[in-house]
Amino acid sequence: MQYEIEGNPDYGHLTVTLDPGDTFIAEGGSMAWAADGLEMKARLLGGFLPALIRKIAGGESFFVGEYSHPAGGRATFSPSTPGTVASERLSGGSLMLTAGSFMACTPGVRLGLKFGGLRAMFSGEGLFVLECSGVGDLFFNTFGALVEREIDGEFTVDTGHVVAWEPSLAYRLQGMGSLKSTALSGEGLAMRFSGKGKIYLQTRTMDALAGWLTPFK
Amino acid sequence: MSEYIMSERGSFGSVLVKIGPGETFVSESGAMFRASDNVDIDVTTRNRSGGGGLMSGVRRMMAGESFFLSTYRTRDGAPGEVALAPTLAGEVALIECRGGGRWLCAGGSFLGASQGLDLDTQFQGLRGALSGESLSFLAASGVGELLVSAFGSVQAIEVDGKLTVDTGHVVAFQDTLEYRLDRAGGSWIQSFLASEGVVLNFSGRGTVYVQSHNPDEFGKRLGGMMPPR
Repeated sequence: MQYEIEGNPDYGHLTVTLDPGDTFIAEGGSMAWAADGLEMKARLLGGFLPALIRKIAGGESFFVGEYSHPAGGRATFSPSTPGTVASERLSGGSLMLTAGSFMACTPGVRLGLKFGGLRAMFSGEGLFVLECSGVGDLFFNTFGALVEREIDGEFTVDTGHVVAWEPSLAYRLQGMGSLKSTALSGEGLAMRFSGKGKIYLQTRTMDALAGWLTPFK
Repeated sequence: MSEYIMSERGSFGSVLVKIGPGETFVSESGAMFRASDNVDIDVTTRNRSGGGGLMSGVRRMMAGESFFLSTYRTRDGAPGEVALAPTLAGEVALIECRGGGRWLCAGGSFLGASQGLDLDTQFQGLRGALSGESLSFLAASGVGELLVSAFGSVQAIEVDGKLTVDTGHVVAFQDTLEYRLDRAGGSWIQSFLASEGVVLNFSGRGTVYVQSHNPDEFGKRLGGMMPPR
């Protein structure tokens, strides 16, 4: 299996060359074009119950597609938003991914759903985050550009801009500044990360775009 | 013959069309963002051959295009300029139509057409209607230039054999290719569960223009975040 990411930073999309026998997991609906003969099976993400809960609570897609190409061939996958497609090779470690940022992975990657608790509910990230572990390649996408930072200490991010982080980082929610300045500045809740590890951010958020467009309806 | 100055690449593609004396050029209504002051704009529901009238407007609307087309010509016998840009961010492309077959253009991807191209609407029948996607195409026949726009980047794929494309990623294709509507992955149930859309299965020889991103997917995602009206 080979991958090629094209179109970054504006219009990232991913082309996978599948050999006979290869399988590839991608977010449902993300297949853009492919050599004839691509097969797809719907799979539940993280098992039936978590997938059901995720669907009901988070409105996220219940199923992912498992793609294969019995004769071998190329398939191109594209995220629903313009932006950057990034890849991360997992070799035993894990990465926490906000659910809307998941794009695709190889079958060796385990996708576990983590209930984020109250702090996730208020973070605007959805109720669940994906814990991606195992061995393989993980692909995720951002709205806007991708920013990667190595943190050693403390780091504050506006909630909607967080895409992924290593679990060696702990985080808690906090308002930025006083309640008054939070309410007035539109700087919502922030995630305050601490520890040592890597974090991925996006420079735009769909929530903010939707919020900006809403008064024009 | 009209001349084209293309700003093809990058996020915000546009085209400057230079119209010669006595020439006409047709665009999607609303695509013009500037014109020289000797250019007359005639907004009509008619297609190029003058036929159609009201019903061709209705058909175009059902194809996901605007009800109206704008026709540009200069009134003083001098050359003129019209600049066109699509609604969404993305690239534009110029397709040379050499006759001998039609080009089918997906609803929403049509930007403009030169004199010499006949425009009509091609329905995909009941199967297209059942699929829940607007599956009609604008058909351009004759010799001339067709301008198309993409959401994201655009690329031409030369098909010699078979190719599967999600309908949301189709910009335009030659009807020398055979095409058939189907579900991604073959099974309707599987593709419904995985919310994978309808695909076009192309076979034969010809060119397909595809766009990197699917406007409907983006619209659904964004629309879902906006409060009800």
